[in-house]
Amino acid sequence: MSRASITRRQALEQAATLLGGALSAPTVAGVLSTATRRAWAASPRWTPRTLSPAQLELVATMAEHIIPQTDTPGARAAGVHRFVDTLLSDHYAATERDRFLAGLADVDARAQSAHGQPFARCSPEQRIMLLKEMDARAYASGRGDDGWFFRRLKELTVVGYYTSEIGAMQELHMSPFGAYRGDIPYTSVGRAWS
Amino acid sequence: MITYDAIVIGSGITGGWAAKELTEKGLETLVIERGRNVEHRKDYITEHKPNWQFPLRDARLAVGTQGAQEYPIQARTGQFHESVKHFFIKDHRNPYIEDKPFTWIQGDQVGGKSLIWGRQVYRWSDLDFEANLRDAHAVDWPIRYADLAPWYSYVERFIGVSGERLGLPQLPDGEFQPPMEMNAGEKFVKAGLERAFPDRRLTIGRVAILTQALNGRLPCHYCGPCERGCSTGSYFSSQSSTLPAARATGRLTIIPNSVVHSLIYDAAKNRVTGVRVVDTTTNETREYSSRVVFLCASTLATTRVLLNSKSARFPEGLANSSGVLGRYLMDHHFVVGASGAIEGLLDRYYQGNRPNGIYIPRFRNLGDDASRRGDYVRGFGYQGGASREGWARGGSEAGFGVELKRKLHDPGRWTMGLTGFGECLPRADNQVQLADQTDEFGIPLLRIHCTWGENELAMRKDMAASAAEMLEAGGCKEVRTRDAYKEGELGGEPGLGIHEMGTARMGRDPRTSVLNAHNQAHDVPNLFVTDGACMTSSSCVNPSITYMALTARACDYALGELKRGNL
Repeated sequence: MSRASITRRQALEQAATLLGGALSAPTVAGVLSTATRRAWAASPRWTPRTLSPAQLELVATMAEHIIPQTDTPGARAAGVHRFVDTLLSDHYAATERDRFLAGLADVDARAQSAHGQPFARCSPEQRIMLLKEMDARAYASGRGDDGWFFRRLKELTVVGYYTSEIGAMQELHMSPFGAYRGDIPYTSVGRAWS
Repeated sequence: MITYDAIVIGSGITGGWAAKELTEKGLETLVIERGRNVEHRKDYITEHKPNWQFPLRDARLAVGTQGAQEYPIQARTGQFHESVKHFFIKDHRNPYIEDKPFTWIQGDQVGGKSLIWGRQVYRWSDLDFEANLRDAHAVDWPIRYADLAPWYSYVERFIGVSGERLGLPQLPDGEFQPPMEMNAGEKFVKAGLERAFPDRRLTIGRVAILTQALNGRLPCHYCGPCERGCSTGSYFSSQSSTLPAARATGRLTIIPNSVVHSLIYDAAKNRVTGVRVVDTTTNETREYSSRVVFLCASTLATTRVLLNSKSARFPEGLANSSGVLGRYLMDHHFVVGASGAIEGLLDRYYQGNRPNGIYIPRFRNLGDDASRRGDYVRGFGYQGGASREGWARGGSEAGFGVELKRKLHDPGRWTMGLTGFGECLPRADNQVQLADQTDEFGIPLLRIHCTWGENELAMRKDMAASAAEMLEAGGCKEVRTRDAYKEGELGGEPGLGIHEMGTARMGRDPRTSVLNAHNQAHDVPNLFVTDGACMTSSSCVNPSITYMALTARACDYALGELKRGNL
């Protein structure tokens, strides 16, 4: 998510407080709104509104490498690529959207120059090699503009995955409604709350 | 013109209280609200929705994002999210001019900001009521803690406040329900901090959220985001509490979609005789009359109404013979503090989304030598809390793949943060005036001029340093301070605290204040102002409960005056 200014919410979040809460648990499975269906439902009729089919596949491929399927589904199954298309279409300002799209193009350019084909057609080993390079550069000290795209893609993958039903309910779990207990053994919970 | 016994302008935290008190005392009361109607439960359209049901996953809609296009000002607060957007005003409906950055956050609905407020409630003490007198800023309050203490109790018993009794003179205890629990990280830091600083306390936040059932409202179920609305009425809002009580009397009428243009003043009687309203759906003008008027429109909206109510007797705004109307605007300065990491406790966790944090009461300038500071007057408190890092850390660290997923399966380390909320001095040059331009309803815009002064800036240095010092004493590592304020920029600007107050202050002398000790206009006996506009100084604690107590007290006084035939 973009952060244009420091605000109370951020101040409190960054200060790691729980004021305002972060996530809510579902009561009953609600009826999805039209907008939500458009954005989320993995219906065969869903089509991207900003990404081309090739770009969509590139995002899905990279995201699945970042959060892969294990004993629970990964980023592709959770629809991270659809989340990214929705953000690009309905959330980002044009300049930020274009910067992200340029970042995608750059990934393919790197893949071309290193392996002679676009990222999605590289072998898994080649892709992981490219991703390792990008990851190392993105999180090296200094955090320059150079690594902006990969940091953003990884943030979006993490947000998109862990706020999806798969990420929030299968991989992690949601705190049940009821009492608040502030000091319990972690072993009684076993995995992070989403 | 339709006539009522009383008119209340605004239906938020104070308007709801005025409506409850006046109707329960037998007055036929009209509540005028500029925004749309919001019905308890039915209109909490995002309550309990999981994040995947929001197209943007409940993204923060920051300035510049598409969702913020109609909300360029509201988007400045981090509280402006996809899930609560509908409880903030579209800025074209409340335009204003800011000389320097001043963020004016408004609701635009029945219930006002009571639906989305922070719910932290702290009593003032005489340290606050005597502050102006003691250090010779602005004017003295016309009341003391003893005047308000029974009204604090009255309000607390009705709204429901959970918290811990501490016996501190600077932060008086109230009528508390059992406190919420601190988590393991907070307990850890508390132990070290209180050992190192015996004069300081770390306590759970005192909060208008129930831990026991009250008047048909249920205790908190810890779903987390109160600001989406609460069907169990577990936090105080006009919808959950005051408006139902007022409605039960059969004497309440609420008209939404009606913005007040001005008050009608009869110089011969020296009384407000009516209220001029613009219908926000048709732009038609309507008038209502009553024997007494309570202005509870929120600090700046209230003062705007008064400034725009001009007459031969009051050419500079109604009840403004003193000339101080619009002056002495305050807010709390914040977005300054520190955070750090706790080593260990990795076998401890928590369950439930507690909509509350911790509080560290003021410990500076308490009147004794030990707490006196040479570099600033007044003081500050901290809000904050501890938690274990969640999945979001995955986006800010190197690594991906199975290893990353496995790492995020478990919570990360504990972190603890403290954010200071500092008192702001009342200064005459922090002020609002009417501009020449008018809004779409024909009402002149406010021009707002407000900056932090030297005292606030000196205090901020201590707020950052003391937070770091206490976290270190509490056992935190990697402690970092932060101060988001930059002169002339967004980030820590006035208004962002959403505790804007002053501009129609109470005082003892009609020549230097707008309101008397009962929130009654010195100049116009049947006019009362009981929202944040009435404040003479700002304290450092969250102000809403003080507004509520002042409102209930003013209603009681107004009824007495009506009975005595004085209004």
